[in-house]
Amino acid sequence: MISVQTKAALAVFLFLTFTAASYRAQMATNRDADTAAIKQAVAAFADTWNSHDAHGVAMHYVEDGDFTSIKGEPSHGRKELEDHYTTIFTTFLKNAHTTDTVRSIHFLAPDLASVDIDWLVTDPAAPGGVLRKGLLTWILSKRGGEWKIVIYHEQSW
Amino acid sequence: MILSRLKLVVVVSLSLAFSSVLAWARMPSNTDADSAAVKQCVAAWEDAWNRHDAHATAMAYVEDGEFSSTTGVPSHGWKELEAHYNEIFTTFLKDAHRTDTVRSIRFLTPEIASVDIDWQMTGARTRDGKDAPNRKGLLTWVVTKQRDGQWKISIYHESVF
Repeated sequence: MISVQTKAALAVFLFLTFTAASYRAQMATNRDADTAAIKQAVAAFADTWNSHDAHGVAMHYVEDGDFTSIKGEPSHGRKELEDHYTTIFTTFLKNAHTTDTVRSIHFLAPDLASVDIDWLVTDPAAPGGVLRKGLLTWILSKRGGEWKIVIYHEQSW
Repeated sequence: MILSRLKLVVVVSLSLAFSSVLAWARMPSNTDADSAAVKQCVAAWEDAWNRHDAHATAMAYVEDGEFSSTTGVPSHGWKELEAHYNEIFTTFLKDAHRTDTVRSIRFLTPEIASVDIDWQMTGARTRDGKDAPNRKGLLTWVVTKQRDGQWKISIYHESVF
């Protein structure tokens, strides 16, 4: 005769095992979906950048996003970001085209990721056609199902 | 019989309630204390670097920490990190001295922060042993809070202006 306590303990054990297994399976699926969604966000950013749409680029950031240029100059929040992109798209980068390739994604939390992106900016007028080459290093956060830039750093070599 | 089931329910409920309270208590963590601890992490790393202690410099990272150089060359984990620092401290940076100044700290969660650090370096040499000009730039780190309350480097990027 199995006691009620043993039955209860067995039931709790089975329930926890099942929950843990399905949680793990769900996490792996989510991770794949999030990896794809992050790559999609990077591609969408490059498309918007290449159409020189300053407002559209700023909207890829969270409301209080942080940008820092290769010289360490910061822009904070959508208004400053849009002003920054308007300036570069109407001056020294007005004929520039970017190619961004995701190098690595490091999940810091389920809704927070650090992403390294190889970066190549070309301009027909630049020597050898290449204006900049380097690495973009972003912190992305998932907000309302969409991955947005919280912190943007870039380095050029 | 009913009593023992009741006991089980009470024990489970109490432990759930207790862990929720614990989680809640940890959430609004003291940002001032954490900012100070993050600055301490930067200062300790800078000190280890200036002593050219490759092991101590690597130990400022979490065990699977990621480093990426000014030209995007990566090192991953304590062993690779220590080997990297050993190499630079015995070659072109063997007489180098650095100064690191925290520019900003942005907490992404109570236990994860992004830190921007202005850096300057004197005494560096070129790869062929000639004096190199002084260098400066920005370190951009992701640091994480450890169980003992210390902060360590999870991801390290650096750029040169």
